[in-house]
Amino acid sequence: MSVREVDLKADPSCATTTNSLSNYLWKDAPDENKWADCVHCGMCLESCPTYEITGQEQHSPRGRVHLIKSVAEGKLKVNEQFMDPVFACLDCRACTTACPADVDVGGLIEEARGQVRQAMPLTGIKGTVSKFFLQGLFPHQDRLNTLGSLLRFYQKSGIQKAVRKTGLLNVMPQHLVDMESIMPEVGQPVRKKYKNAEVIKAKGETKNEVAFMTGCVMDVMFSDINDATINVLTRNGNDVTIPKNQTCCGALHVHAGDRDTGRKLAKQNIEAFKDADTIVVNAAGCGCMMKEYAELFRDEPEWHDKAEEFSAKVEDISKYLHETGYDKPKAELNTRITYHDACHLAHGQGVRQQPRDILLDIPGVEMVHMPNADRCCGSAGIYNITNPEMAGEVLENKMQNVPQDVEMISMGNPGCMLQMAMGVKKYGRNQKVVHTVQLLDWAYQKEDKEKGGN
Amino acid sequence: MAVKIKTNDKHIQALAEIVGSPRLILFHQEDLIAYDCDGFTLHKHLPKAVVFPKDTQEVSRLVRYCSDNDLPFLARGAGTGLSGGAIPVNGEVIISLVKMKRLLSVDFENRRAVVEPGYVNLKLTNSISDKGYYYAPDPSSQYCCTIGGNVAENAGGAHCLKYGVTTNHILGLEVVLPNGDIIDIGQNGIQDAPGYDLLGLLTGSEGTLGIVTKITVRILKNPEAKQTVLAYFDKVIDGSQAVSDIISAGIVPAALEMMDKTAIEGVEAAAFPVGHPKDIEAVLLIEVDGISAGIEEQINQILEVCKNRNVREVRAARDEQERGRWWANRKTGFGAMGAISADYLVQDGVIPRSKLPEVLSRINKISEESGLRIANIFHAGDGNLHPLVLFDARIPGQSEKALAAGSACLQVCADVGGTITGEHGVGIEKKEEMRFVFNDEEIIAQTNVRDVFNTKNLLNAGKLFPSPGRCVEIKKEMKAAAAQ
Repeated sequence: MSVREVDLKADPSCATTTNSLSNYLWKDAPDENKWADCVHCGMCLESCPTYEITGQEQHSPRGRVHLIKSVAEGKLKVNEQFMDPVFACLDCRACTTACPADVDVGGLIEEARGQVRQAMPLTGIKGTVSKFFLQGLFPHQDRLNTLGSLLRFYQKSGIQKAVRKTGLLNVMPQHLVDMESIMPEVGQPVRKKYKNAEVIKAKGETKNEVAFMTGCVMDVMFSDINDATINVLTRNGNDVTIPKNQTCCGALHVHAGDRDTGRKLAKQNIEAFKDADTIVVNAAGCGCMMKEYAELFRDEPEWHDKAEEFSAKVEDISKYLHETGYDKPKAELNTRITYHDACHLAHGQGVRQQPRDILLDIPGVEMVHMPNADRCCGSAGIYNITNPEMAGEVLENKMQNVPQDVEMISMGNPGCMLQMAMGVKKYGRNQKVVHTVQLLDWAYQKEDKEKGGN
Repeated sequence: MAVKIKTNDKHIQALAEIVGSPRLILFHQEDLIAYDCDGFTLHKHLPKAVVFPKDTQEVSRLVRYCSDNDLPFLARGAGTGLSGGAIPVNGEVIISLVKMKRLLSVDFENRRAVVEPGYVNLKLTNSISDKGYYYAPDPSSQYCCTIGGNVAENAGGAHCLKYGVTTNHILGLEVVLPNGDIIDIGQNGIQDAPGYDLLGLLTGSEGTLGIVTKITVRILKNPEAKQTVLAYFDKVIDGSQAVSDIISAGIVPAALEMMDKTAIEGVEAAAFPVGHPKDIEAVLLIEVDGISAGIEEQINQILEVCKNRNVREVRAARDEQERGRWWANRKTGFGAMGAISADYLVQDGVIPRSKLPEVLSRINKISEESGLRIANIFHAGDGNLHPLVLFDARIPGQSEKALAAGSACLQVCADVGGTITGEHGVGIEKKEEMRFVFNDEEIIAQTNVRDVFNTKNLLNAGKLFPSPGRCVEIKKEMKAAAAQ
């Protein structure tokens, strides 16, 4: 049989949309104005790590936007098949940078995830685990501290060695074993350390006052970076306060579709920091979330305004230092490094040059360019736990771009640090993974030591 | 080995066996929706399935299966086409070539490279630029469009004024014919080989004659120097006169681009604004390249020409960063319309340069009559005009109005001695408008050529040509009956 032109269907009718057909049946639905900006041009395709790996358009930014729109048009339902592309997104925001029309793909994805979670609450083991981390652990500093103490005990007491020897890890899924193996050495959280200090005074004259968002996991797993942040801030004339009632920023909850908990945490932080003029944060993921709180309160005008006011005060440490000025260290670090752009710093907050400038201001630091430095590493919050396979492939692509001959990889986000550390180990590399402020702090410390020695 | 997928459809099962993995075939509605249109969004149709072959042999087997079983099929790359060439209007099996995305070889000595069809245009330039070479055709979608798609559409770009369109850069093709046979044409890259110019026929055939699986392209040495000039005009007529003056002064710019007031509003509201004034009627972007000696002289000449045409402000780019910003602003121009309009329809007329003021004023009239705004982005140097009809598909009736306005713009282009497409292709979008430039006999002559390759018309049917008029169809059938 052959098809003749005359047998072909008459010209297809034009696509039209009707809102009453929407299959978003829950509150806080994806915002129509966000997808109205998308003209389906495809400029986002090559920026997307999951499209790069799968080559499939439902795993591309414009494909996801198209699916999200299709649910509103009644062509699709919120179900398992819809969930897959929506949850496979890394939320890396690279598409937001690539998009000529500034379509807020990240916002749409998070709203769609909220619908999925309301339509299909997690059940069974996944539900229990998710609830344990997202609701039972991250929002509770005391519990996190207890966990930190346990981890410290695990590492110091010899149990870690024993566990690694006994092969107990062999029964765990591989990606969790990989993570255990790169767990940073757990120190004392700064919130505990400075529990009784109203203000951590600037060294020398006070030029500015800042409030410090310590982060929840950050303060337990990476307290040394928080220490370095406080050192660098006080060294440069900042009085630092650590508001007591602050809590987890809620990014992981919002990424996972748990927007209610996200809102609860956002409100608590907005209240906790209401007296601050500047809120400094050293975790790109937290900073980005805190800059987007207003997005959570589309239905609560009063909180929406408060959130906007709050967000305007939030600044990443590197941008804050760059804008307010910092001492250029005099001691030489003599090291070859490369810089990885955390997605939520580069794409999420547009902070690209400032951390590089800071690193270049350290004498003896030689920066080697990393190709595709702003490509996601696959950490993406807890994506590497929920989608280990895809995260692994994204990481592999990332590691191929890390220059061979550098000693350190610097970046501005704890999630990336864990993931990159895993990459270094997995691919037999030997780089040290560091936070930008740590390098600056080390240079200051060396300078002080050299001065003291003279 | 049997591929395990949940389906009762024997064809889908058979296609899955050919690609060899459940991860390389899509057939659930939720996944297929992402393939119901390309960069042309006014028509949407679900494919039967999407398959992702890894090599030429798999493409051939897929095609043979479809052909043997009378399944309509078509090829798709990044799906950035603007005329609907990759839309499965007959519920086609989509053969996606994005997994075939390797750069196979580069031969600097003979200045050519071999790529697979899913290889992204800009990646070629990026991977040879350190050696001082580049690939010239630069459609604005070059960040993401595939070279396979460029061949199908004979894609152009801002720099085609001096360097020519895709067909001028194709040296050889490996093609899977609609019956599954694999053929090579011009593979050795020998210029002007004897026999019919099949490369020329295949390039720009919009995926109706075969599926390209390997492409040998020409690569060029980077020009020694390049410089870009930006000029703001209060009146469109002055801008278009300046364009004519530059060309008649004997300068061959590498690119000569124009945007009108509405287009400027769009790009300035979007992601890559450069601070164009909002109250001017036209901005020109003029680039010259070549050997260093003489570039400055050409730039001075261009500045002079613009000044003679009442330019408000004109200057050369200060540095490479500024030049880059100007181009990013221009090259993302289509997508930028999303910032000022929910949807847009881009048209692709070609006109004699001298007719620009007349055509723009007639397009303005179409805009007024339809009540829809129309922005104009224009490869002014070669007369390739892109009217962008801005509309909102959510408002009942606006899609139809936009289509009618777009068609009216093309009628104007044809009226003044131009044609209906310069680089985006006909696809399904402009197939009726083919009648503006061809009569029924001419259309049939062309479909007869197609039928030689695409005997069953299963490959990308219903694209490129309008359905012939009724009487002609009858005549053709009578002729066929007489011949039997």
